Amino acid sequence: MSDRRLNLLWFIVPVIAVGILLVGLWPGDQNIEDPEARAYNLSVSLKCPICAGESLAGSQTDLAKDLRAQINEEIAAGRTDEEIIDAFVAAYGEQVLLDPPSTGWGVVLWAVPLGVLAAGLIAIVGLRRKDRDPAGVKK
Amino acid sequence: MIALAGYVSILVALVSAIALTIQGWRISRTPNPDPGRLKIPAIGLAVGGVAAFSLLEIGLLTHDFSIAYVAKNTALATPFVFLLAAGWAALAGSVVLWGLMLSVFTWLVWRSVKSGDGLGVLALSVMGVVSVFWFGLMATAANPFAVCTEVANGFCSATSWLPIAATAAPLDGIGPNPLLANHILMAVHPPLLYVGYVGFTVPFAFAIAALIRSELGRVWLDRTHRWSLVAWVFLTAGIFLGGWWSYEVLGWGGYWAWDPVENAALLPWISATAFIHSAVVQRRRSMLQAWNFVLVITTFSLTVFGTFLTRSGVIASVHAFSLSVVGPVLLIFLGLIVFGSFGLFAVRASAVASSPRLDSLVSREGFILLNNLLMTLFGFTILFGTLYPLLVEAFSGREVAVGRPFFDRVAVPLAFLLVTAIGVGSTAPWRVATGKVLWQRTRVGLNVGLAVAALSLLAGVRSVALIAIIGLAAFAIGNIVAFYFHQSSRAHHGDRSWLSAFGSTINNDKGFWGGQIAHIGFALAAVAIGTTSILAVRTEVPLAVGETVVVEGYCIQYLEPFSRIEPVRNVEGARVAILDADCSSTRVVLEPRLHEYPRFGQVITTPQVWTTWIDDVYLSIAALDADGMRLKVLIFPFQWLLWFAGIMIVAGGTLALGRKPGRRSPTSKQGDRSEHADV
Repeated sequence: MSDRRLNLLWFIVPVIAVGILLVGLWPGDQNIEDPEARAYNLSVSLKCPICAGESLAGSQTDLAKDLRAQINEEIAAGRTDEEIIDAFVAAYGEQVLLDPPSTGWGVVLWAVPLGVLAAGLIAIVGLRRKDRDPAGVKK
Repeated sequence: MIALAGYVSILVALVSAIALTIQGWRISRTPNPDPGRLKIPAIGLAVGGVAAFSLLEIGLLTHDFSIAYVAKNTALATPFVFLLAAGWAALAGSVVLWGLMLSVFTWLVWRSVKSGDGLGVLALSVMGVVSVFWFGLMATAANPFAVCTEVANGFCSATSWLPIAATAAPLDGIGPNPLLANHILMAVHPPLLYVGYVGFTVPFAFAIAALIRSELGRVWLDRTHRWSLVAWVFLTAGIFLGGWWSYEVLGWGGYWAWDPVENAALLPWISATAFIHSAVVQRRRSMLQAWNFVLVITTFSLTVFGTFLTRSGVIASVHAFSLSVVGPVLLIFLGLIVFGSFGLFAVRASAVASSPRLDSLVSREGFILLNNLLMTLFGFTILFGTLYPLLVEAFSGREVAVGRPFFDRVAVPLAFLLVTAIGVGSTAPWRVATGKVLWQRTRVGLNVGLAVAALSLLAGVRSVALIAIIGLAAFAIGNIVAFYFHQSSRAHHGDRSWLSAFGSTINNDKGFWGGQIAHIGFALAAVAIGTTSILAVRTEVPLAVGETVVVEGYCIQYLEPFSRIEPVRNVEGARVAILDADCSSTRVVLEPRLHEYPRFGQVITTPQVWTTWIDDVYLSIAALDADGMRLKVLIFPFQWLLWFAGIMIVAGGTLALGRKPGRRSPTSKQGDRSEHADV
């Protein structure tokens, strides 16, 4: 292939690819997720109340089996994810949430890592050469 | 008899470790330190460590139930492999395995220390301190050779930690925890993790020795480069195999649950990965000297922290098998390490700091700094999230849990950033990357990434996140492969064949190309995690004998139930055929099972997996009775890619071991090529 054709290829491929991606991913109707996927997502974000640190999805206890069945029933009955989660919190307390709400104490859970990020960024910027000598910088 | 001999071995190792510590310290302060004078302690430690572990294994294999550990963790009917694995499946045994590795590593380091090498001798003394702790633990709180002194109802009802007491042996032992004796992989992944954990003792010891002696240059880094890499490779392999074990055994189709103990294994891996990268920056650009000390001390502290989490029961976890006095002891050791090491570091801080000399953020070192920032953030957030429930409970008394949704939300964006950084940074030149060079080295990847993203959309992928990670991975891999061709084409001149050019490119710089293979593996792992979580299909179907159901183009037929009685368990299962989509021809017959362990009153769901180039079909029994069963059918697209990615990362790390420390690539004078030497 000649250089010119190669350059053309460098141009055409991305243009076509971006076109396909734009058309394909243009936000359209949010299709309703299938109930089994919803049930799984709920069962990984709820802790099995009697288990040592396992989610409902991961636990083999009878209670976890029953609760998974309960989630399926509630989805079939048309409840939203929030309603189901609220019902679990009402029954077993906030400790069933594997994703603690980001209010109250939950703020700390996000604020501290963000603080670390900020400190790291500042430290990296501080590493930049102060006595910058353009002559010493090779290409 | 075995118990007594084993206990004596531990004492031999303990005394040797004390001698190594004191003698090593004294000799390192003489004008011409002679490691030959440490011969007896070094060999004594290794002999004691090897003997203690061997004797424990002999006790397990010969069913010496007078040893309480043997009576508790094995039974006459336990299969050979799990007898062997019982040597590290429970607390006291795992400490013995740890001691074995530590003592052998210390001996290997001793062999490498030459006369006049004060740094090496002092590092041996530091390893002596660590050994004193572990063998001291074995001699007291976690004695694996405690004997059974009283038997009631066939069980060992009283024990004495003194192996000279009059013993009584039950006729049979209790046997291993069923979850740990259900799959062969369980025997493999803990020792690999341990080699990784213990391996980081060596760079830690050299770093501490360098701080004490104020030998703050790159000598300690160069000398421990291989140890760090070996430890990292084993840790990586151990984590991937642990994930595979979870996938094959736990029956819910997951390989990672963000369980506190999984996090504990991941944390030192993260800081070690950061260390391997930042060590390159110090070797190449004399930057980050202080930061490397921080990372190596952190990594070692995290290995002890991981052991503490696993073995203390402080945090509820499926892995926390034991509650004992060992927990507080480990916590004290951890505290001593953290305060001692960082205290020492603080004292030397002013001397350690290297002057800022970052020319540009857009450069190889700039991207390695980005890697370090992301890794630090990732590690810190995991650590904080794991400990958060403890903190909240301590301060407010409320019970909270942090699990998968939180960690996923942190890990996913970081994975995107890391793969992007790999794509741009791996091939960026050192010091300053001009726009022109950057464009030359990323345009292939940009095109490949966009094209692959578009193709995956055309192939039916609809998730934006998945398309994005596929595109980013293709971008990174495309750039690395293009750079490889570019470098090889320079070597391809005259009568040299392409094949030899490709070979010599890697041969001349195994460190760099080993790293790139690991980078490709990392990008592939990100894709596999995406496909197996986003495209997974999970369904549970009721099936009567003879009935068929079609799931995602796989026709699944329940052939017949079966049951059999094995020595330690009762097996109930179902023969299930997977046929073509039109249910005409059988492709494979699987036997998902329920394993009942009557002695423990425990039933373990044992899934079976059929792997094809496209999907894993994962069958697991949810309920089984005379009328039929409820079968979980899980489909994970490209699951094999995750295991393959793990193999690539391990292979890349192993290849990088071939780098000769301190040696530059022979072509390093030819301008551009020197940019990637040493990495």
